[in-house]
Amino acid sequence: MSLLKLEHVTKRFGGLTAVSDFNLDLQEGELVGLIGPNGAGKTTIFNLITNTYLVSEGKVILGGKDITGMKTDRITAEGIARTFQNIRLFGELTALDNVRTAFHLRLKSSVLSAVFGLPGYRKEEKEIDDKAMLLLKTLGLEKYKDDLAGSLPYGLQRKLEISRALATNPKVLLLDEPAAGMNPEETLALAALIMRIRKEFNLTVLLIEHDMSLVMSICERIVVLDHGVTIARGLPKEIQNNPEVITAYLGTGDLYA
Amino acid sequence: MDRRMKLILTIVSLLVFILLLWLAESYMDPFIKRILNVAAIYVILGVSLNLINGFTGQFSLGHAGFMSLGAYASALLYMSPALKATNFFIEPIIWPLSEIQIPFFFALLVGGAIAAVAGFAVGAPCLRVGGDYLAIVTYGFAEIIRVILNNLQNITNGPLGLKGLPTYTNLYWSWGWALFTIFFIKKLVDSSYGRALKSIREDEVAAEAMGVNLFKHKTLAFVIGAFFAGIGGGLLGSLLMTIDPNSFNISLTFQIVMIVLLGGLGSITGSVVMGVSIAFLMELLRFVESPMTIFGLTIPGISGMRMLIFALILVITVIFFRRGLFGQKEFSWDWIFRSKRRNAE
Repeated sequence: MSLLKLEHVTKRFGGLTAVSDFNLDLQEGELVGLIGPNGAGKTTIFNLITNTYLVSEGKVILGGKDITGMKTDRITAEGIARTFQNIRLFGELTALDNVRTAFHLRLKSSVLSAVFGLPGYRKEEKEIDDKAMLLLKTLGLEKYKDDLAGSLPYGLQRKLEISRALATNPKVLLLDEPAAGMNPEETLALAALIMRIRKEFNLTVLLIEHDMSLVMSICERIVVLDHGVTIARGLPKEIQNNPEVITAYLGTGDLYA
Repeated sequence: MDRRMKLILTIVSLLVFILLLWLAESYMDPFIKRILNVAAIYVILGVSLNLINGFTGQFSLGHAGFMSLGAYASALLYMSPALKATNFFIEPIIWPLSEIQIPFFFALLVGGAIAAVAGFAVGAPCLRVGGDYLAIVTYGFAEIIRVILNNLQNITNGPLGLKGLPTYTNLYWSWGWALFTIFFIKKLVDSSYGRALKSIREDEVAAEAMGVNLFKHKTLAFVIGAFFAGIGGGLLGSLLMTIDPNSFNISLTFQIVMIVLLGGLGSITGSVVMGVSIAFLMELLRFVESPMTIFGLTIPGISGMRMLIFALILVITVIFFRRGLFGQKEFSWDWIFRSKRRNAE
């Protein structure tokens, strides 16, 4: 079943077309890779899905519901969560509070019942605490719960960002270069982690990544972008041998072209 | 240290504090009482501004505007009709304000509510701007309020202001409200809503992507901050017994911003400590404005010298102690007992 669908999505910044006529049909439970050289428009597509940028043309549909132009926080509530290319944690908050913040959107109690600690709020807060701790445990971060997020080492910050995204209870998880700055062993561990959470949380994953070993090993399908244009789509094997993709990444090989 | 012990400690210290208030109200001389009242009002203003500036990270300079709304709205409600008639001798006050008189407590609440509505009116359009721009917009808003108050002759008595206000503000009212403000805002910032506010301060883009409704939470901070500013304004009006539009100018806002910055953006404890300290320093430093002789050199008294000293303290703080006295730390019983144990070892 199609879960997230992008139809003819186009984004123009003035005269520059960052993404043109992009189509994607993400099936439930799939893990799709989005690759392309720097400046190809990959992150722009994430920003269009979450309406951080307004779509110029086209539609974004989640589970049959048109979410184009919906406010970013509503889209998150509908079930799309993301991580960021340059980690955007709440640095001065603890790891636990980072995760707890992401549960806020499901809070039903009013401000006054929160301030006066009414039973309804206390119950919800207890649930949030438990769920947040469970999430940290699942990702092996429980012993850092009281550390400030900004003081954690890089790899753990990446993990914490993923657990924060999971706390919003997403259907679709958008991962923006999760392996950036990781060494090969860490990347391997990350691949295992992505496969594990995908199963545990019933996720559909769209992954932007430059690390080809990661993309080729875990993605079921790959979409390749260059200058905002989709130049190839298919299975990892097909992409590896696609001459157009190789040209986009490496050039033509002809010095005098 | 378990929760029950802490609760007992809190209740005991509250009772001691109320006893001290009673002693102060009954036996202290009026001068000290006045400083203590001002201290409480500074605490209310500092803590409420800290909610907007320190916890939500929206640098607002509109506090004097909210205060003036609270001061005027409450004064016009608790003044007796006869007093209003004597005040408004150029142009009579419009009906029904000329007839209404309600008890002080309710007048304060209405003043706070009107300031809160204004807080919403500022917070909502300011959503699109941040940083320096927000500071300018909120400052502009405070100026608009000042000019309007100056010109609504038949409601606010214009530049003449309101004089001879009854003195309802005493230590119970002022410190009662100060304690309530501290309680309310402390509970708020520790709640799930507080985490959402802090996440906006930390990273607006990430906060929104994690499902925090920016509009709702920013206006929430403005509305609550403005409400308590309005209460503080109402208390101050009744304490000073006179209000006019120009007493709520930008320098008043700067005093409150100074309290927040010196105490630490994001520390309620800091705002409380600095609010009280500044109230006392304002009086203690009065001597620098009187004529004095240093090493045979006679300096005539210059009024406004105190503010120069505060400005200097602020400059030094911003350069060398950027996070203020407390940073983002808060007072807690654990903290007290931990440091005691450390000293004992």
